[in-house]
Amino acid sequence: MAVSVAVHGHGPDDHGGHDDDIIYQETRDMRLMGFVLFLVSDVVLFSSYIFAYIYLRNSIQPTWPPIVDGHQLPRLDTAFAAFNSVVLFGSGVTMHFALESWKHANKPRFNTFMWLTIFLGLGFLGGQGYEYAHAQIGGWSGNIFGASFFTLTGMHGIHVFLGVCFLFALWIQTQRGVYTEHRFFGLTAGTLYWHFVDVIWVVLFFLFYLW
Amino acid sequence: MDLATIEKVVAFIGALVVFTFALIGLKGEWHKKGLDDNVTKVLLGLMAFGCVLVVLASFGVLPRGGGGA
Repeated sequence: MAVSVAVHGHGPDDHGGHDDDIIYQETRDMRLMGFVLFLVSDVVLFSSYIFAYIYLRNSIQPTWPPIVDGHQLPRLDTAFAAFNSVVLFGSGVTMHFALESWKHANKPRFNTFMWLTIFLGLGFLGGQGYEYAHAQIGGWSGNIFGASFFTLTGMHGIHVFLGVCFLFALWIQTQRGVYTEHRFFGLTAGTLYWHFVDVIWVVLFFLFYLW
Repeated sequence: MDLATIEKVVAFIGALVVFTFALIGLKGEWHKKGLDDNVTKVLLGLMAFGCVLVVLASFGVLPRGGGGA
């Protein structure tokens, strides 16, 4: 309790502030559990599509990429995908250090890392758009490869886009003083979400480009 | 040097940098015990694994059949 009082700057007679801290801590734990459960539900969503893709690839098509109209479809551009993956993974690292900067009350460093994260996220989306424009695997409804690729990476892309919007909203909140050095649950949730979309991409990168 | 080679070189260097900083972040989180800290450890570890995949792709080890446009 003494540590809590010293850290949060409340006097020993300031029971209201201390109770406020306790309530915040308890609700933070519940919100965190709820957010982690949301991420788990998203894992289930992606898993169902991923296992459907694995099943289709192994059971329905003997050769992969599949043969369409007598010609085998080309592999996707691994070199570009590797480059684009690094862009997204890099944004995960910058987001992690943005949160650490906020915890250490270094707001200029936080702003730098936050904007780097947003720009890298937008860069990844731009790369995905380029990939969609140049992938020679047919359209969404042309064959099972194209359908799987555009469905899974499209769903991931929507998550990245929403993540960028989420991070921008969080940045606005930090500028408006919504969060303090000790109360920053939104930033924690944003960081977890951004790491989550990074990790989903690790799986998709392996499945579509390296397998 | 063609575009694919440039992309692979940039991806390789970027993956090394990101891998290093992911490990630094992981080391900083290692002693923390909260739920969010533990989830972050798992996710940072998987992201570092993703960097290993990028390195393998940039060297042409994966995919086994050969990649590229």
